[in-house]
Formats: sequence, structure tokens, C-alpha cells
Amino acid sequence: MAEEEKKKRKKRRTATKAAASIGPMVKAAIGGTIKAKEEGKKIAYTFIVCLYDEILRAMDIVPVWTENYAGVCGAKRDAERFLERAESLGFSRSLCTYALCGLGFDQWREELGEMPPEAPWGGQARPDMMLSSGQILCDPRNKWYQAAQQFMPDVPIHNVDLPYPLYEDDIHFTDIQDYYIKHIIEELRGLVTFLEKQTGKKMDYDRLSGLVDLGEKTWNLIHETYELRRAVPTPMGTGDAMNTMVPMTFMLGTQEAYDFYVGLNKELKEKIARKEGVIENEKYRLLWGGGLPSWFALADFNYFNSKGAVFPAETTYRMVQPIYHMYMPETNDPIERLAWRWFGYWVYWYDKARKRPGSHPDVEWLIQYIEDYQIDGIVMHEAFSCRTWHLGLIWQLNQLAKIYKPIPVLVLGKDGRENKASRELPSLVLESDIIDITSYSEVDTRNRIDAFIETLESVKKGKTI
Amino acid sequence: MEYYAGVDIGSTMTKVVIMNKGIISSIIGPTGPEQRRLANKVMEKALNKADLAFESINYIVATGYGRINVPFADKQVTEITCHAKGVADFFPEAKTVIDIGGQDSKGIKIDNGRPIDFVMNDKCAAGSGRYLEITADALGIKIEDMGELALQSTNPALISNICTIFAEQEVVSKLAEGVPLRDLVAGVLESLANRVSRMVKRLNVEEAVVITGGVAKNAGLVKALSDKLGYHVSVPPEPLLTGAVGAALLGKDIVRKAIENGESPERKERSLKEIEIL
Repeated sequence: MAEEEKKKRKKRRTATKAAASIGPMVKAAIGGTIKAKEEGKKIAYTFIVCLYDEILRAMDIVPVWTENYAGVCGAKRDAERFLERAESLGFSRSLCTYALCGLGFDQWREELGEMPPEAPWGGQARPDMMLSSGQILCDPRNKWYQAAQQFMPDVPIHNVDLPYPLYEDDIHFTDIQDYYIKHIIEELRGLVTFLEKQTGKKMDYDRLSGLVDLGEKTWNLIHETYELRRAVPTPMGTGDAMNTMVPMTFMLGTQEAYDFYVGLNKELKEKIARKEGVIENEKYRLLWGGGLPSWFALADFNYFNSKGAVFPAETTYRMVQPIYHMYMPETNDPIERLAWRWFGYWVYWYDKARKRPGSHPDVEWLIQYIEDYQIDGIVMHEAFSCRTWHLGLIWQLNQLAKIYKPIPVLVLGKDGRENKASRELPSLVLESDIIDITSYSEVDTRNRIDAFIETLESVKKGKTI
Repeated sequence: MEYYAGVDIGSTMTKVVIMNKGIISSIIGPTGPEQRRLANKVMEKALNKADLAFESINYIVATGYGRINVPFADKQVTEITCHAKGVADFFPEAKTVIDIGGQDSKGIKIDNGRPIDFVMNDKCAAGSGRYLEITADALGIKIEDMGELALQSTNPALISNICTIFAEQEVVSKLAEGVPLRDLVAGVLESLANRVSRMVKRLNVEEAVVITGGVAKNAGLVKALSDKLGYHVSVPPEPLLTGAVGAALLGKDIVRKAIENGESPERKERSLKEIEIL
């Protein structure tokens, strides 16, 4: 990237010191993986939300989160050269651009025998193994590493199948949970066996138990900390949450992650006590209702702020639910606990959805946050290359409009009398990508934001201006 | 007498209206780099037509994609709000507005002239007036003749490409294959109506439905859109001016509200000078 361009871009403002500390933390973590490789430690390519965090930590295997590195390239506006390289290798631009960026990077590193020139934050360390996942969250989770293996044929892949039951309103998940739990436990034991073979050492289950304890404690702390954002004015927005998700998704099972949220919790409480919000005059409270962000355009959150809008909540990267609200049977086996945590997370909203005809767990999640966080409008992002998120967003908004109308209004009936009615929340669907900057237009995006703000104002005041 | 001006600088056309109780002057002209730089000239033309001095305009609202390039406007408002307001002036019962501009298209849900939700396509020319310009050019016909030609068709051609450039190639190939011109044009309008209706349906369309923008003058497209949506689609008397009219009316509301509150409306220091675009 041209030096001038780098200088021209201002640093994004964050509301919390904790969020501001994340950049250096990620940089250090990526640098740490390169150093670990040099020291001969085992490196594993991994995906987030795949349940193997504590298992890897317990076996001293250093995870390299390949989605994270692609996101870093995107945020630094330096993904294009890796995307172009992947495209020139024959991969379609319409595939997941995280995967494309990673494949372009890996091929380049393998071709050179060293990191590509000026690789963001030193580059992505070469793995000793790749841990893919057959979970239904997204297809690159098993296809990406299969494609990467053509550049690294010596690096083994181990696939972990991590299913969860799809929601059906006429089947209760408890009817089928035993089958799922048994299968997930078998998969995790298979992973441990693979890792033991790769490292030549046995799993220390007492150590794993301790890390699972720490992971669960961290989940609960994150939930409690994020719930503090219900305050008016809200002390932290989604722009910051796109930073503070880092310890949750990339560092679970470490003391550093737990300590980070202790610090964030304290900072938010202090801000609430001082009535210090993200902005001085909070006018509109928005929910980031789905879709990964454009990592190169996080400053758009600041643009929302400049118009009086804040995001007290988001469903994206809220990858925890309180453990104490889940069914967790008594067991001393950390593998079993992980399986139940996984299952409990995915079925968390199922019971609520069954109680509201026409609802769905994802819609129920939106409704809960709309109420808890006093939401005025919803913003989503359709990232063209992320099929997982893309598919359901508009459907969710449509269902929400059908089954939930939270804003009371008075309407003039045909008989000339005023009647009570209700109206759906205004919504804005942004369109771009996670890291492909060629899909983004700042002018058009901000024009949409301006129009959305006027719509919110119109709905709130019941008049046009 | 009070006068209000609305300046709508779209991606293709620039529109200015001056209103008191109704429209007393309007100008429609193509937008180009010059027009953006010389928004003052367009305003001057409208003032001359109305025989008014610049100082006699009580309030000016700019809208459209080029609204930030109107330094003499007192306020900038997006086209979503202005179209909602402008449409309600012609059709108070309107609930859904479809605006097909030169390079984008929008759907707006409105309630008493207020926007309550909207969708926008600014990513692809295939949902905009540009699509018609390009295909009309490829077929060697005038864009204003497309509507009438399409209405003569009983067997619209299927245009399968969703990209403007590929669709252009497709219509040329079909023309060479001997597909009648009227069927090709009807197929082009159907494909545009398909794209726009798919987007607008996200809003749960309600009657009355109104279409604005230059494309609204195309009777064939209005019919195709009406068929796709299953609702009658109304067209304002001058669909290109709706945004500018809405802008002027918003200016009027702002001034009235300020007077009601015993305040002076917030206005900018303004002069009709060229703006500098680096």
C-alpha cells in the first residue's frame, strides 16, 4: 500500500481504552506466532468458534487464526494483492474473501520460502497442521484448508465435525441432544488423539479442566460486561466491540483474555457512573443485527456517531451466552463440558422462538436485544462473499416486521378517528464485503447512512424534519 | 410572498424548482462535471425564469447525489426524505415510492409524507435508468420510444443476463437472430422491472404505489412494474421534479416551524458563486 495512503488515513476513534488496546495486542499475538514457529513450537491453522481453543492451549499448540489474519490484511487495506494472487491461481472472486486472502498469502509465502514482502504485521506463520471444521457455520471451514494443502502438501489436515441441530418448531432439541453430544464428544476425543500424535505428548486432562474452568468464567464475564452496554447513554458501541471480540474469539482459555474483560468491565462501570457515553448527545440507539463488518471501513461506525447514532449491541461476534443459563450436567470430564457448552450456545434461543409463532432463534435474539437495549433501528451488512451471513439477513428482517412491531403510533382510520397501531423498526442493509475493498463506496455508504438517520428521525418525531 | 427552492443534483439530471403555493419555475438539465461546479448557473436560470432575485428565496434545500456541491443551499437533505415529501404533495395517500434514477434505484415506505423505511440499489447499473440508455443505444432507438414499443409486444424476449454490459451484448445477439424489436424492448423493460420489484418487495409494498424519476415516463416500464408488484403504479405529473419539489417543501416546513417557535430559521451565508472542485 502506498505510504501516502497510509499517512492519509486517520486512526479510528474508539470509545474505550480497552478497544484501543486491541490493535497492539493482535500485532503482538501475530508476532508471537512467528516467534513460536522459530522456537520450534507446533503451529496450527484454526478457525474461530470451533471449540478447540482450550484443547490447543492445554497441549501448548499455538493457534494461527487464519480468518483473523485475513481481517488484519483487510483492516490495513492491504488484502487486495493477496486476493488478486488467489484469483490468478484460478479461485473465483465470489468465494469467501477471507479464504482467498489466506490462499493468496500462503501460495506466495510457499513460493518465496519466506514471508511475502511487507506482509502485514510480519505475516502468517507456516503451520504444522491445519484444523478444519465440518460445522455448518460456513463452507470454507473445511474447503479452505483442502485448497491450501496444494501449496503445503506436507501439512496434515484434521477435520472436526461440530454439528448443532437446526431449529424446527415441531421438534424439541432435548429429543435429539444425546445423539449430538455423543457425536461431538467423539469428535473432540478424535482431535485430542490427532494432536497427541502430532506433538508426541499426552493430553494433561487436569490442565485442560483448569482451562475450561477459565473459559467458562470468561464467557460469563463477557456476558455480564456486554450487558452493561444497556445503559443510556451506552458506554461502548459496536465499533469498539469489533475490537473487544478479539480476546473472546482468539484467546479463550488464557488468563490474558479473562483479565482483558475484567478491565473492560471496570472501565464500562466507571463510564456509566460518570454518565459518559460513546457520544455526548445520544439520539438513536441501533442494533448491529448481523453480518460481518467491512474491516477496512470500521470508521463508518464513527460516521454513525457523528450523526447522533450509537450501537449498544450487536449479534455479530457475540459468541458467548451465559453458562449459568444453559443446561450443563455435572461432570468432571472437560471434553464433555466443552460439548455441552457448544450445544448450549447454539440452542440458546430455541425455546424462546418456539413460544412465538413465526419466530426463529435468530429473530428472537434480535427481539431480545431490541427490548433490552432500547433499540430504535437495525443495521445489517450483506458482505457479498460471506454466504453464511448473507442468506438469512433479509428473511430475518421480514420475519421481524411480521411478528414484532414495537413502536406504537397513532393512525387516522377511514372513519377519521385515530387508532392505535404499531410499526416495524426502520432497518438499513449495507452492502459491501469483509475485506474486498473494491466492493465498497464510501460516498454511497454514507449516503445510505444519511438517509437512514433521516428515517429514524422521521419515525421518532413523527414528522419529516 | 415567500419563495422556496429545491435543488436536486442527480447522477444524470439536475433539477431546480422554485415554489410559493405551487411551482412557479423549474429547470431540468443534464448533470455533468460543469453543472456540479456551476450549480449556481442552474439556479440563476430558474430565478430568471421566475423573474426573481436570489435574495427573495426564503430557504433553499439541496438534495440528490450532488447535494454537497450546492454551497448556497441552507440545508442538505437526502433524496429519500425529499422524494417522500414530494410524492405526498401529489399523492397524499401514497405508501410506497419507487424512484428509478440515472444510476441507482430506491424503494421508500412512507407514511403521511414521512419516510419510515427504505431500500437502495447503488451497486449495479442494471437496476437504473443507465440500463435503458445503454440498451436503447445498442438497439439504435430513442430511449423515449421504448415504452410505446414495449406496449405493442405480446411476447417479451427473455433477457437472462443480469449485468448491463452482458445484457447489451445479449440484445444485440437476439436482434441479429431476428427477434422483433418490440419484444426485445419489452424484455429489457421486464428485466429492469424484475430487478427493481425484487428490491422493493423487501419493504412489504403497500398501496398507493408511486414511481418517480425520469424512467417513470416510460409507460412500458410502469406497466411491467405494476404487473410484477400486483399493484397499480401511479406517476406524478412531472416525475423528474419530485425530489426537487420535496426539497422546496421541506424548506417551507423548516421556515414555518421556526416561525411557530418564534425563531429564525437556521440559514447559511450564501452567494451564487461557482464552487471550487479540486
